[in-house]
Amino acid sequence: MVTTTALAKATLLGVEMGMTLILITVGLTLIFGMMDVINFAHGSLYMLGAYFGFALTAQSGNFWLALLVVPLAVAVVGALIEIFALRPLYGRNPLYHILLTFGLAIIIQGLVTDIWGGQVRNISTPDALSGAIDLGLISYPTYRVFLLVVSTLIVVALWLAITRSNFGVLMRASAHDSEMVDALGVDVAKVFTAVFVLGSALAGLAGVLLGTARAVDPSMGAAVIIQAFAIVVIGGLGSFRGAVVGALVVGLLNAYGPMVAPSLTDTLIFVLMAVVLLLKPSGLFGQPEGV
Amino acid sequence: MAIEDVLDRYSARTETEAEDAAIIGRTGRLALVGVGLALVAFAPVAQAIQPFWMNLLTLALIFALFALSLDFVFGYAGLLSFGHAAMFGAGGYAVALLLENVTRNALVVLPMAIIAGVVVAALIGWLSVRAKGIYFAMLTLAFAQMIYTLAFNDIPATALGVDQVTAGDNGLVGIPSYEVAGFAFDSLVTYYFLALTIVALSVALVLRLANSPFGRVLEGIRENEDRIAFVGYNVRHYKIVAFAISGGFAGLAGGLFVPFQSTAHPEMLHWTVSGELIVMTLLGGMGTLWGPMVGAVFVVFLEDALSSVGNWEVVLGLIYVLVVIFAPTGIAGAVTSLKRNPREAVSNVPAALRGYVENVRK
Amino acid sequence: MVREAIPSEGASGGQNSQRNYHYRRRFLAGVGAAGSLALAGCTDSLGAGGSSAVKVGFVLPFSGTYSLLGESIENGFKLHVDDLGGEIDGTEVEYVKKDTGADTSTGVSITKEFIQKEQVDFLVGPVSSAVAAAMLPEVEKQASALWLNANSGNFKLVAEGCSKYHFRTAFNSWQTSAPLARFVMDNVADNVCVSYADYAFGQQSKTFFSEEFEKAGGTVVDEVAAPLGTSDYSSFLQEIENSGADAVYSFFAGGDAVNYVKQFSEFGLNDKMTQTGSGFLLSADTLPAQGEAALGMYSLLHYTPTKQSERNQAFVEAYRGAHDTAPNVYACQGYDAALAAEKAVTEAGGTDVEQLVDALSGAKIDSPRGNFRFNPKTNDPIHDLDVRKVVSADGGVTNEIVETLESVEGPTWNCSL
Repeated sequence: MVTTTALAKATLLGVEMGMTLILITVGLTLIFGMMDVINFAHGSLYMLGAYFGFALTAQSGNFWLALLVVPLAVAVVGALIEIFALRPLYGRNPLYHILLTFGLAIIIQGLVTDIWGGQVRNISTPDALSGAIDLGLISYPTYRVFLLVVSTLIVVALWLAITRSNFGVLMRASAHDSEMVDALGVDVAKVFTAVFVLGSALAGLAGVLLGTARAVDPSMGAAVIIQAFAIVVIGGLGSFRGAVVGALVVGLLNAYGPMVAPSLTDTLIFVLMAVVLLLKPSGLFGQPEGV
Repeated sequence: MAIEDVLDRYSARTETEAEDAAIIGRTGRLALVGVGLALVAFAPVAQAIQPFWMNLLTLALIFALFALSLDFVFGYAGLLSFGHAAMFGAGGYAVALLLENVTRNALVVLPMAIIAGVVVAALIGWLSVRAKGIYFAMLTLAFAQMIYTLAFNDIPATALGVDQVTAGDNGLVGIPSYEVAGFAFDSLVTYYFLALTIVALSVALVLRLANSPFGRVLEGIRENEDRIAFVGYNVRHYKIVAFAISGGFAGLAGGLFVPFQSTAHPEMLHWTVSGELIVMTLLGGMGTLWGPMVGAVFVVFLEDALSSVGNWEVVLGLIYVLVVIFAPTGIAGAVTSLKRNPREAVSNVPAALRGYVENVRK
Repeated sequence: MVREAIPSEGASGGQNSQRNYHYRRRFLAGVGAAGSLALAGCTDSLGAGGSSAVKVGFVLPFSGTYSLLGESIENGFKLHVDDLGGEIDGTEVEYVKKDTGADTSTGVSITKEFIQKEQVDFLVGPVSSAVAAAMLPEVEKQASALWLNANSGNFKLVAEGCSKYHFRTAFNSWQTSAPLARFVMDNVADNVCVSYADYAFGQQSKTFFSEEFEKAGGTVVDEVAAPLGTSDYSSFLQEIENSGADAVYSFFAGGDAVNYVKQFSEFGLNDKMTQTGSGFLLSADTLPAQGEAALGMYSLLHYTPTKQSERNQAFVEAYRGAHDTAPNVYACQGYDAALAAEKAVTEAGGTDVEQLVDALSGAKIDSPRGNFRFNPKTNDPIHDLDVRKVVSADGGVTNEIVETLESVEGPTWNCSL
């Protein structure tokens, strides 16, 4: 029954879903790798990005403006969270970050419901990106092609930044041994803030990008966070490569799943996570020691 | 070599830690007995003024037991379970099916809740303990979510070819309450006493376990797993047993919850239940056993008090955040330092604020 | 900080902290007093509970995914009571409300509290079918409050519960699905693919529609189930496309409906097949987010805000005046619950629950959706259903009624009250 076209389309879909998931999981894994923070509020930042995007496009009618401004706005929120809530906690048992970020997630969700109400919203797709593109074998919505291209570019840029730039070296060094970096005269606190801000901006960007393709409602953050955690754990906590590979695998799983066992699609990710962890107890690319 | 020797020799216990351990010692036990007696005395008072108060208290007791079950494995053995909902739900569904179809005898059904919890926990524990820290937590989450899906889609019914087992997302409703020798626990006050008795027995049992050589080994595993293994203890074995015991108590909590609410629903198995349980435990103060119980009671009461107010989640979230920042050891930690030196604890508040500001400025 | 700079501080540090201690004591004493006041308040209202006021308890979600539904129902209910000057038949109306979230056991807890402690005369709610199923045994057992079910359409409440205390001012799951089958058969296509959110209500809707569609001579080509809360439907849409059907019947609601409809059009399926569905797929709440993607789609529901009747327009205007937005179907269901409460209390001449039940059994309600009456066998509404089509309107899209199916009754599932 499964035709080549169907398979090709599902594969493209899977890659696209995976690439967009990376925007969320990269921040999560970097923040964990650096600061040991289990950030339950990460999904809320993604949701906040979608709502900021909705408000801005509704006001200005300009999607491109939102695409630029919203990540910055969410980055500011991220900076505030890092400075006022996380920073006093460094050096303590990282488990307490669960309670903290859980609380933050509830607060953000509550405030958003207060401001924008419980009604489902959506960011209108810019005219230039509506319609579909003929890719020979299949035809594919233009906006999704755009999503795929943009997220791929960002992932490549991040990859280069982390492996090639000075900041990337500093980041990796701080994750490895923050005391050492501190001793070398680098302000580790600033590196932490920068990483958290970067992760927040990416989550915000994902919010705007996916807020056009999907429904925007206050529960969208909570809906994505567990899946994002699973991906990060499958890939190995703190590993950039792991977050990328994990997201792509899960994206493909989400695309092929409905062909095989539709009602179990949601569970496949947990089955995958269990299998991976049973075979490799610290994920595909993770460091052997746990928290 | 006794485990105490190992601990004394290898783990450098500070004075405060020793004192913390003493909380569950003689004074702690007296306090517990006092609380128990107060709860007994409360029933006739509530009966006279407002019987419904016992509804909230019963719920609080059930969640206190649930939190205790997590802290036994989390605080004592250092295994962060993000899947305790699985055992809570397993106990709950087992009880629902038995009460509806087999017998209402509490002496038969409640032990089955424990067994259901133990079996599920042993299975999850056996598969998961190889992983550590967050990876362990995520494995328990994965298995719990799989069980959630089983219940939500009523896969047991499909597998057995019957009409319904878990009844999917409709849940099982109208579950009758317990009986013992013809006496039915079907009023608020009788169920309150049933819950109180079971929770009291569980607390006594957990305390015994925690203070036994077995409990000491668990503590040792939390402090330094490799050393305990080096001395010749089978760490994996201990962890699985601890997880199974904890699961038994979680199943028991589920077994009390379902007839009380007269419904068993897949929501009991959802990760948010496990998440909330961790929040209760951290809020109360993990590793103290009594702290998480207080945390559970606190959250149950708080949610009830706030739920008729609009926007209550923001308030709840703010409380979590403030507690983590300013009372990092939870309610138990705050109480302990107040008890140890009330004046110092109060004068520490400005110091804590200054510390906070310094940390932020850093 | 400033206080620390006061010179005497060093000498009288002890006193200072003692003073603080006193403040603390006073503060605590204050709290104690407030506590006992609140207590007194409690017992007062308890004494008054059964007799002097009409007490209404809202068992509704005010947080989470369904908060909008909960608020709309409450707003609708209060709109009518406010019209009556806050009293029914000369008796003041009192409210209690508590948030069920989306949690079944919380719903049961609140139901117990409202019946046993607050001694309400009417329960209004819930939103979720699972909560409703769990409430039913409690309502039946206590037999002291009349339940105005203002949203849950679960047919099992009647098929398995069949309680005389349960009156639905909303709909049942048969009514929002099956009656559309004949319309689709006559006007759209003789073959459909059915797609639905894979949970109890979605499954019920799918089954009722399919049965009726096949009875009418049509063919159900394929069934596609997607998990509740799916955010990307593209893989499921491909299955739907592969079915080759000329039309689709779908059940999705809320955020799922927005995702599904947007993506349905995004992948160009709307050029190949006609989308039809239960009214929740294309409701007043989701249409603004769905926008032009929803154009040309058909749906079936018992209330349409754009209905051109005097009764409805008056309701819409009043609601808009109070809440600055047009009412949705949930607001109408809440409003109708208040109409039912008014009718019951007025005719019973009090709040005795048995008399309330007698008064409401088979009663006619003059609703904005059109007149309806309670089926005396099931207490479900017998009401008109609108088949609507999404059309362009100034600056957006809206539902236009293309046909009204009158007095739709539906099965009684062997319930005979």
